[in-house]
Parts: sequence; C-alpha cells; structure tokens
Amino acid sequence: MTTTPTRAVPHRPPSTPPPPRRRRTSWLPYLLIAPTLLATAFLLLYPLARNVIISTQEFGLPQLVRGHARFVGLANYTRVLTDAEFWAVVRRTLLFTAINVVLIMLLSTLVALLLVRLGRWTRLLVMSGLVLVWATPVIAATTVFQWLFQSRLGVVNWALVRLGFEGYRDYTWFADGPATFAILVALIVWQSVPFAALSLYAAMVTIPAELYDAARMDGAGAWRVFTTITFPLLRAMFGLVTCLEVIWVVKAFVQIWVISQGGPGQATTTLPVYAFQVAQSLQRYDLGAAVSMLMVLLLVLALLAYFRRLYRQEEVS
Amino acid sequence: MTGRLLRGLAALVVFAVSVFPVYWMVLTAFKPTRDIQAGTPSFLPLSPTFEHFATATSAHGFWSFWRNSLLVAGGAVLLSLAVALLAAFAVARLRWKGRRGFILMVFIAQMTPWEALLIPIYVIARDTGLLDTLWMLTLVYFMITLPFTVVTLRGFLAAIPVDLEEAALVDGCSRAQAFRRAVFPLLAPGLLATSLFGFITAWNEFAFANVLIIKDQDDRTLPVWLSSFSSTFGTDWGATMAASTLFMLPVLLVFLALQGRVTTGIVGGAVKG
Amino acid sequence: MPNRPATFVLASLLVLSACGAEPGASGGEQDVTVWLMKDTATDDFVSRFETEFERDHPGLDLKIQVQEWNGITQKVTSALASTDPPDVIEVGNTQVAQYAASDGVTDLSAKVAELGGQDWIPGLAEPGAVGGKQFGIPFYAANRVVIYRKDLFEAAGVTPPKTRDEWLAATAKLDQGDTQGIYLPGQNWYVLSGFIWDEGGDLARQDDGKWTGSLNTPQALAGADFYRRLQALGDGPKDSDEAKPQQTDVVAGGRVAQFIAVPGAAKLVAKANPELADELGFFPIPGKTAATPGAVFTGGSDLIIPLASTRQDGAYEVVKALAGDKWQVELAKAMNYVPNRTSLASAVGDDPGAAAMAAGAVNGRATPNSPNWAAVEARNPIKEFLTAVLTGTDPATAAATADQVITQALNSGA
Repeated sequence: MTTTPTRAVPHRPPSTPPPPRRRRTSWLPYLLIAPTLLATAFLLLYPLARNVIISTQEFGLPQLVRGHARFVGLANYTRVLTDAEFWAVVRRTLLFTAINVVLIMLLSTLVALLLVRLGRWTRLLVMSGLVLVWATPVIAATTVFQWLFQSRLGVVNWALVRLGFEGYRDYTWFADGPATFAILVALIVWQSVPFAALSLYAAMVTIPAELYDAARMDGAGAWRVFTTITFPLLRAMFGLVTCLEVIWVVKAFVQIWVISQGGPGQATTTLPVYAFQVAQSLQRYDLGAAVSMLMVLLLVLALLAYFRRLYRQEEVS
Repeated sequence: MTGRLLRGLAALVVFAVSVFPVYWMVLTAFKPTRDIQAGTPSFLPLSPTFEHFATATSAHGFWSFWRNSLLVAGGAVLLSLAVALLAAFAVARLRWKGRRGFILMVFIAQMTPWEALLIPIYVIARDTGLLDTLWMLTLVYFMITLPFTVVTLRGFLAAIPVDLEEAALVDGCSRAQAFRRAVFPLLAPGLLATSLFGFITAWNEFAFANVLIIKDQDDRTLPVWLSSFSSTFGTDWGATMAASTLFMLPVLLVFLALQGRVTTGIVGGAVKG
Repeated sequence: MPNRPATFVLASLLVLSACGAEPGASGGEQDVTVWLMKDTATDDFVSRFETEFERDHPGLDLKIQVQEWNGITQKVTSALASTDPPDVIEVGNTQVAQYAASDGVTDLSAKVAELGGQDWIPGLAEPGAVGGKQFGIPFYAANRVVIYRKDLFEAAGVTPPKTRDEWLAATAKLDQGDTQGIYLPGQNWYVLSGFIWDEGGDLARQDDGKWTGSLNTPQALAGADFYRRLQALGDGPKDSDEAKPQQTDVVAGGRVAQFIAVPGAAKLVAKANPELADELGFFPIPGKTAATPGAVFTGGSDLIIPLASTRQDGAYEVVKALAGDKWQVELAKAMNYVPNRTSLASAVGDDPGAAAMAAGAVNGRATPNSPNWAAVEARNPIKEFLTAVLTGTDPATAAATADQVITQALNSGA
C-alpha cells in the first residue's frame, strides 16, 4: 500500500482536468454487468418464465410427478380473477401494506429524530437495541411473538391482567381475526423499524447544522423545521425507504405463515400467503402460479410512479 | 430540562420495546420447564438451566446443520458480493447505454415473490440433476440476495468521491489498481454491511431448503433444525427458544463486533441508494 | 457396515435356503432409504430393525431417515416428483389418498393377500386405496383415550365414567379449586370428530361424487355443544390445539385430572414429572350409552413406495417386514399402537393403555375418504369453528362458514 487515498489527493496537479470518464470504456460496463445479467437470466427470468408457462397449464401434483401438462390458455387467470375471494385478498393486502408502511415510516421518522437529539451514550444504547432487532432472524422473532401472545402462558396477557384489564385473562389473540392481524402488524413493524430508522437517521446527520440554526433563529418550531428543512432535503431518501418497505411488507410471508397460516378464517391471508395456500395446500400449482404473476403485476403497478421518477432521476445524476 | 427528560424517557421506551422480545426469548431458553409453564412469569433467570440447550444441541446431525448453513449462506453472500460489485461499479462510475434500464431491472428483481417460484425452481433443479445438492441451494440464495446487494453497493460507491479514484489514475495506476487502492478501503464497511444483510436472508430460508434437499440428510440446514422441536405432541418451547438463541448468535456476534462500522455502512449506502 | 466375507457366506446360505427375500442387484450392497416420521418409533426399535433387516437381507443396506412434521407435505411431494426418491415413505392416513392419486406411487394391489390384507384395519387400508387399487400399506394406528390422575379421582371420590353424562358429572366434581377437571384445548378437532360421529353426524358428506361440509347439521352442532360443555370444566386455551402448549407438559406441571390423548402421551408426562408415573390411568372415551364407547378418530400411518424408486424389490422387502407380524407386534408394544391387523390385537398384551385404546378402537372412524381431505386439514376450518363456538359466536353461523371452506377444498381437485 503505497498510495493511500488521503495521500493521493494532494498529489493531483490542480490544473489538470479529470480524465474523460468514457475513455476506452465502451465495452467495459457491459462486461461488468454480464455476470449479473447471466445470473438473473438463468436463476430469475428462466424460473419466472417457467412459472408463466405453468400458469397457462393444468398443473397439479400428477403433472408435477409425470410431466405432460395440458395447455389451457388463460383459464387459470379467468378463474382467479372471477373469484371473489381473490379480490378480497387483494383488498386485504392493500390494507395490510398501507397500515404497516404508514406505521413503519411514522415510527422510524420519530426514532430517527430522537436519535439525532440524543446524547452520545443514550444514542448508542438505542442504536444497539435497534441493531439487535435487526439481527434477529425472522424465524426466531416470529416464534417469540407467538410465545409472547400465547393465551394461557403468554406474558402479554399476564401483563394486561396485572394492569387491570381482566378481560385479557386467557384472551385468545389468535382466534380473533383483527387481533391476529394486529399482532402481525406489530411483528412486522417491530422488525422493519430498525432499518428505516437507521437509514433516515444517517440521512438526517448529513444535513448541515447551520440550516437548522437559521430556521430556529427565525423562530420555527420543531414541526416547521421538519416540514421546511428535513423532509424536503431528504425527499429522495424517504421515497427510497418507503418503496423498499412497500416491497418487503407486500412480500411478507414467513411471519404470517408461521403465526396464522392466513387465518383465522381468511383474516390474515395476503397475496403471497394466498398463492402459497393455493399452490402447496390445494396442490393447484397452476392457480398458484397465476396468483403470483398477478401479484407481481400489482406490485409493479403500485410502484409505477416511483419507478418513473427513479428512471428520470437517473438521467439527471 | 423537561425536554431532556422526555427524550430520555422516549429513548428508554424505544430500547425496551426493541429488546424485550429478544430478552424474553433468551430468558425462556434458560428457564426450567416448570417455570415456563408457571402462571406467574418471572422476569429474571432465578434458577437458570442449560437443559434446553442440551436438548437443542443433542439433535442428530447438529454440526452438519451448522456447517451446511455456514457454507450455503457464506457461499451465496461471497458470490453475490463479487458479482454485484462489478455491476455496482458499472452503474455508479460509468456512463453507458442501457444503464437506466439495468437499474430498473435490478430494482424490479427485488420484488420477486420467491415462495411462488418454488415449483419452477424445483423442476429446473430436477431437470439439471442439481436436486439434493447444496450447490442449487447456494445458487438460489445467491440470486435472492443479488438485487439488494447491487442496489446497496451502488449506493456506497456513489457516496465515495470520484476524485479519489481519478487522483490514483493520474498517479499512474490502472483502473483496477485505482479501485483497489483508493476506493476499496472506503467501501469495506459497506461491503460488510451488505454481506451481513444477505447472510441473514440466506441464514433464515426454509421453504427452498425443505424442498430442494430431499434424500441427502447430511445436507440439511439450520432452519430445518429450528423447526425440529415440535412433534405431534407439541412444541418444546424451552428447546425452541434455546435453538433460536443459538441460531441468532453468530449473526449477532458479527453485528456487535462491527457495530459502528456496519451501521454507518448500511446507512451510508441507503443515503445515496 | 457388516464385514464382507461374513456377508457373502450369509448371502449364499440364504440363497441356498431359497428364502423369500431376493437379494438386490448382484454385487455390492444396495441402499434402501426409508422415511419414518419423528416420534413414530423409538431409537431402539429403529436400530434393532435396521440390524435384523440387514441380517436377513444381505444385499440391502437400510438407511432410516427421520422426518420432521413441519413442511412435510411439500417434502413428500418433492420426493415423489424427484428422480431419485427415498424407497419407502411413511405418510399419515389422512394424507395418503392425495399421494396415491398422484400417479407417483407404486400400485401394490397384487401384494395385498401376501401382506395379510384381509383383516387390515379399515381406517388405514381405505385411505390407502384409490380407484380400487391399493397404494398405501397400513403401518400402525392409534386412537385417543382419556388419561386420568388416579390420585385426583380418588380424592374427589369419582371412578372412571362409562357414559357421557357420568363423564360431565365426574369432571365437574373434579374441577374444584386449583384442580382442572379436564385439560381440553379448544382446537382438538379429532376429539370433536368423535363427538360428532357419536351423534350420527360427520365432517362432510358425499352425494353423487360431490362433497359438502356437514358441520351445520343438528348432529354436528350437538357434538360441538358437548365439546363446549366439557371444555369449560378446565383451563384449556380456546384458541389453540394440543400442541401449543404441549399438553403433556401442562399435565406434568399442574393439577390436571384428565386429558385426551393417545396412550403414548402418558410416557411423556411421566418423563417430564416422574412423580406422576404411577398415578396415570386410562379409560376409553365414554359414549352416549354404557354399551358402546365413544367414537374415535383412527389416527395412524401407511407406507408407500414411490414409483420413481429404482429399488422396488428392496423397498417391498422393507414394507413387508414393517407390516409383518413380528415388527408390528414389537412396534405396537414399544409405542402403544394398535397393530395394522385386527388379528394381532391380542398379541399386544395387557398394557392398560393399550387395553383402553383397543376398547375404543372398536368404534374407530376415519376422516372423509377424499384425496382432497389433506387440503381441508391444511387450512383447518374445523379448528376455527371450534374456537368460534367456544368464544361465543353463534354455532350455526360458524358452522356454515366452515362448511363453505370444507366444501370448496374437497371439490377443488376436480
């Protein structure tokens, strides 16, 4: 190591303009992205294409075992799209996503704002807590939540009763649709806040302190500072985090499957759970494939606005 | 003064809410079964026991589960770092036709509902003779983590000033040398952060591990072990919590060891994402 | 690995003695892989079976792999569809029909007579047969009995009841202070099934090939009502089944006078709390009259051979051994099971748990015989129906909801 970056900088003759970036690189970028493209083609696009094919066939357990699936055109899609249950699931997924994402963004913004204002040691403490949550594997976290809300031995019911809510003695959380829904929201929010909060916090510390000082001199309150400085400056960051959270929440599967398998009734059946139920429990892989393709389509549509912005933004940068 | 107090209180609440479930898990793992079943829970390990850890670690093939999970998750992460770094460099540092389309593709690839691809991937593995091998599992986990890795690494790269690299170029370094000497040291925390994230994802995966590893019992991974404390008679909560504790331990240790660097790394990457 | 010269000599001897077993492909040993479910057999049984089977079949190297319950449907499915599957798979008797219908399982109809199929337990043999062909070979069965604490019964001055009414009265008497009369979790749908059958109802009915859920019938609702009255005489969680929390732990840790389980559960209680080892007794689930015991769900397993297995002969030898007299009796004794043939019942001996189970087995029943039944269990609307009834929802409304799900699932494969 002879040239450390810090030493390298002063060496640069100030008068020389930076070397043109496009020099001799016409083939280089394509070479660099080739492995990613190849992997995506074989490991993602090809299975996806197979999934599309399955969704146009009659494909159940016998076809999986023997092969020879029959082409049925769009029959599976027609069946799914005309099923009232599917649309109920879509509506539920939208509601589930909206509640989760709003809560995640709200709480993580508050936590990030709190982090900025905390002293060194308290901040380290809170951040370690967040990191601990983040490092907790999904399976472990999900199992613990089941255990916390267990009706007879769960600590949540015990605490509620101690606090005077007698009605929660042996309260059966997982028997009630809205209660199970709420627990799943709590679990997913609990798991997602650390990433969002730490990202927003890191973005917030990049805002020069002078801006805040100036605003405070003008007598702006905390809310005004947030709406006039923090949010506008971090608009892109908020957009990115929201978009990632939308994707993760919509795709959340393990948590729901382990805790409620979509029940009770269909109270917590979101799209991925529904697709899995249809495919694996009913062994209608064809219908499951159709549902999953529709889900991807819906997700793309939902985030279309963001993608368009992303696409334009790239042009500028 | 009241503001300070309020902030302290809020910090405490955030900390407690974050840590309590994890604390409860570890606590349950150390409680004797009788205390777990007790009507009034205790919040301290009054009579700690290792019996649940003994149950958890005495499972048949315990070590092969760990070896396989480490191999598969580690392999997937290394592979995706190598592949993603190249792509991230191309996106963050070079201008070329199709760049925006590529970024969009990577972003959309993150939305893949992997559980839905269980059957097609199973069929492909069967047709190529890769069923029942850790290779197939590694490849699938590699692909699951790849898009996120590209996006984050690209963010990290973009956050590192181009000047450093150009300075090195002027010093007579080749592009590769410039990258290695000027950019790589600054990128290290980002690489660590991203790889940890990918590692956790692969470490957790059950559905593919369950379906792609069939007859070769020595190739099973940890999530399979984690679910093995439930029988037809019920769930052994003590052993499950002990196993969960052991399961999250490696991830946690690495996280804590790198604490400062990882958090700044991840957030640094996200800022420019 | 047995030593080679000895194996060779033994093999020659067996061939000379024209033993029914065919050694596998000539030269070298052939691996035969068998999947048993977790808790099907003791480690001791497995290792003894392995040793003796390999001794009797020198050409075969037996590998027994124990499978976990979590994700087992996907696992068995992927095994059946693979090119190199395990050679013998144990599958639950409520699951076997769907696999049998998949074209991925070997038809063993020709072997039924040889395996003693004339007196197989119907609850195991019927689900294993699809379209008149026998794919699943009965392995073992078990049904639920009431396990009770002798000391608590004595203290309360009650004796094992013979009828439902006596049962409710005795349980109410036991349910005093910190003693639970009975620990019955809210979602034990197997127990509910028994109560419904007692009333003359069923979980689903078939007319002209079309299935309909039949929980919303007077019979089924009467069964659910009895469940509710019994369940109230203890602290069983209304939203959970016998696995969450593990009911044997609950019984081991508290003062629980009775619980409903297969007899083998008593061993787990005794293991968790050795003080109770001598205090546990058994009686069959009481029926409506003293003349007939309560109807019970026959649980158990069948053995199947994947069609894709290249070692069909070796696989059949394993099935033949496991389903044959010797190992059936051994397994039944070791695990408190009902053997796969009624004629073997007497051979199991006079274990009190086995006796209570055998008394109940007379009135054993199976779930509706449809390849799609597994789909019903996968989403289990019956559990939700029970919880709804126990938490005060109108039973008829809850039953109608559940029926809809059952009907849809049972007719979905068509």
